[in-house]
Amino acid sequence: MIHQHLEESKQKWIKVLISLSITMVFCFGLNLCFGSVSIGLGEVFDFFTSGSTGNNGWDLILRNFRLPKALTALLVGSALSVSGLQMQTLFRNPLAGPYVLGISSGAGLGVAIAIFLGFYIGGFLELSGIGRSWLLVAAAGLGSLSVLLIISLAASRIKDSVTLLIIGLMFGAASGAFVSILQFFSQAENIQAYVIWSFGSLGSLSWAELSVFIPILVIGLILSILLSKPLNTLLLGENYAVSLGLNLKRTRLLIIINTAILAGTVTAFCGPIAFFGIAIPHLTRMLFNTSNHLFLTPLVILFGGTLMLVFDFIAQLPGLETTLPINAVTALFGAPFVIYILMRKRNLNYSY
Amino acid sequence: MGVLEVKNLSIGYRNKDQVKVIQHDINVSLEKGQIISLMGQNGVGKTTFIKTISGLLDQLGGEILYGGKSIAKLSKLELAQQLSVVLTEKPYSQNLSVLELIAIGRHPYSGWLGTLSSHDKEIIDWAISETHINYLANRKIYELSDGQLQKVMIARALAQETDIILLDEPAAHLDLYNKIEVMVLLREIARKGKAILISTHDMQVSTQLSDKLWLFNFNKPVVQGSPEDLILDGTLEQTLYLQDYGYDMIHGTVDLDQNGRSIHVTGDEKVVYWTQQALKRNGYRLEENAEVTVLANPNSWKLNVAQQTFELNTITELVSKLNDL
Repeated sequence: MIHQHLEESKQKWIKVLISLSITMVFCFGLNLCFGSVSIGLGEVFDFFTSGSTGNNGWDLILRNFRLPKALTALLVGSALSVSGLQMQTLFRNPLAGPYVLGISSGAGLGVAIAIFLGFYIGGFLELSGIGRSWLLVAAAGLGSLSVLLIISLAASRIKDSVTLLIIGLMFGAASGAFVSILQFFSQAENIQAYVIWSFGSLGSLSWAELSVFIPILVIGLILSILLSKPLNTLLLGENYAVSLGLNLKRTRLLIIINTAILAGTVTAFCGPIAFFGIAIPHLTRMLFNTSNHLFLTPLVILFGGTLMLVFDFIAQLPGLETTLPINAVTALFGAPFVIYILMRKRNLNYSY
Repeated sequence: MGVLEVKNLSIGYRNKDQVKVIQHDINVSLEKGQIISLMGQNGVGKTTFIKTISGLLDQLGGEILYGGKSIAKLSKLELAQQLSVVLTEKPYSQNLSVLELIAIGRHPYSGWLGTLSSHDKEIIDWAISETHINYLANRKIYELSDGQLQKVMIARALAQETDIILLDEPAAHLDLYNKIEVMVLLREIARKGKAILISTHDMQVSTQLSDKLWLFNFNKPVVQGSPEDLILDGTLEQTLYLQDYGYDMIHGTVDLDQNGRSIHVTGDEKVVYWTQQALKRNGYRLEENAEVTVLANPNSWKLNVAQQTFELNTITELVSKLNDL
């Protein structure tokens, strides 16, 4: 009897995963088609199969702008969603997300220091475009890395996960305060530069940056699938998990490092992108009605990536030159959707 | 040799330089096929003992042996193959299916991704049929009643394939029917060769279900023995401080303050028993030579007071009549 049940559910989830993958590829294609110039789906297909659309301008647009942006959107969506899922399961808290441990605050602080103090060191803003973007990445990366180190240290000493959560929140508050002080003593153009960074952006990555960005995130995503089993065990609660032989401290550390790598890298390259990491795990659980991480993790990765492609498509306002900040678009269009699903499902706890 | 042997064990907490010993020189052993109830007042060290033997707390002295092997030499995974637990807390996730939850019980054996071998599946199948919950397999946890959930958690512990199952208050929150069902189930499981250790405050569970009691008391050594022996020699009463409230070990009832008039009840055995309960609760004393007598028969109570006779139809009427006099 059990064999049959398990086999049936496996078949069902494989079908769901395959159809979600197809949807994702389709959205990826659509994302490439639209922008300030519309390119046909057929031409985009040609670009991938024969290396050219037959139009040099279009080739250039696809190669240098749209493809990097679509790849970024896909990976950012997956990474933020899956790290949000891990934090929610680890902390047994529906409000947890990828930034709950203070990773974005750490990155923000790094960037703020780089921008505001860089001004005094001299000529920072005059640095060439590419050099400047790498500097921001390094600053944000260092910021989130230091937060990661402190949190991991705390995690190896503290027994209670909720305490850890509060330490993370305190970090956020403290670094936010520090950024405010820096802003207070800064010039208008520096504040503007910081605010623009904090809007988040998917379209600013060059191929050089992507060559670092893609491998790190792909490794992080694979690791997150490998963490499915301990995450499932944590679904019973920490006491049960330990009684099943789970090494709680080590598992917690692995999950935190995994999340920090994913969310930290995204924040370093694209700025803080809110909403996504908290909302997508809930949406996925509710839409697909499962808590089994063996299915849930790949579902969240695929669904998060697909939705980010859709949001990016909305953000670039097809036919117009302007692009809205992605951070605003995700929350603006995502929040009503989440509220709708919540109203329909009524009890969020049952979807855990 | 027992599956679990505890020798000269000291338990308690270590806080920096301070050591607080709660119990010391505990010598007990657990054998297959036995159900043992751990009893004692709140704060006497039952939970500390359970945490210590399940490896969550360090022992302060003595030895804990699983199948002859010291707990210190067992890895967390090996210990999880010796001892499984059923706790009072509910699983955090409510959206798992019963089958998924029981499958998590295979954690110590399953592969990297939690994939199940055909042996794993057979064990899960066995655990489900042992606990008679086939009809629940596809339900979600939030759909279960407390009694059903308890059986599912027992099935999960069975799926963990351990010699010892530890249950914390297995009958708490359960109604009488479900409590009896769980007790019968545990009895069946023990017969099939598991050692079951229960931490409980429930007199029914401890005296009727278990083969042995381990009694924890303040400032006294841990006592073990069959429930009947411990009741007859008064140890159980002393351990639980039941004499303070006039607890009647034979009937399992409490004698509340009895300062009122004395009454003698005769008649149908069953009706007499329940009439006496009601009278005791209302403060009347039961005595052979009482002036007030009640002849109790099904649906008819004849009350004799000072040559007057009252015919009453329920115990409620009888009690209110007595209170009016």
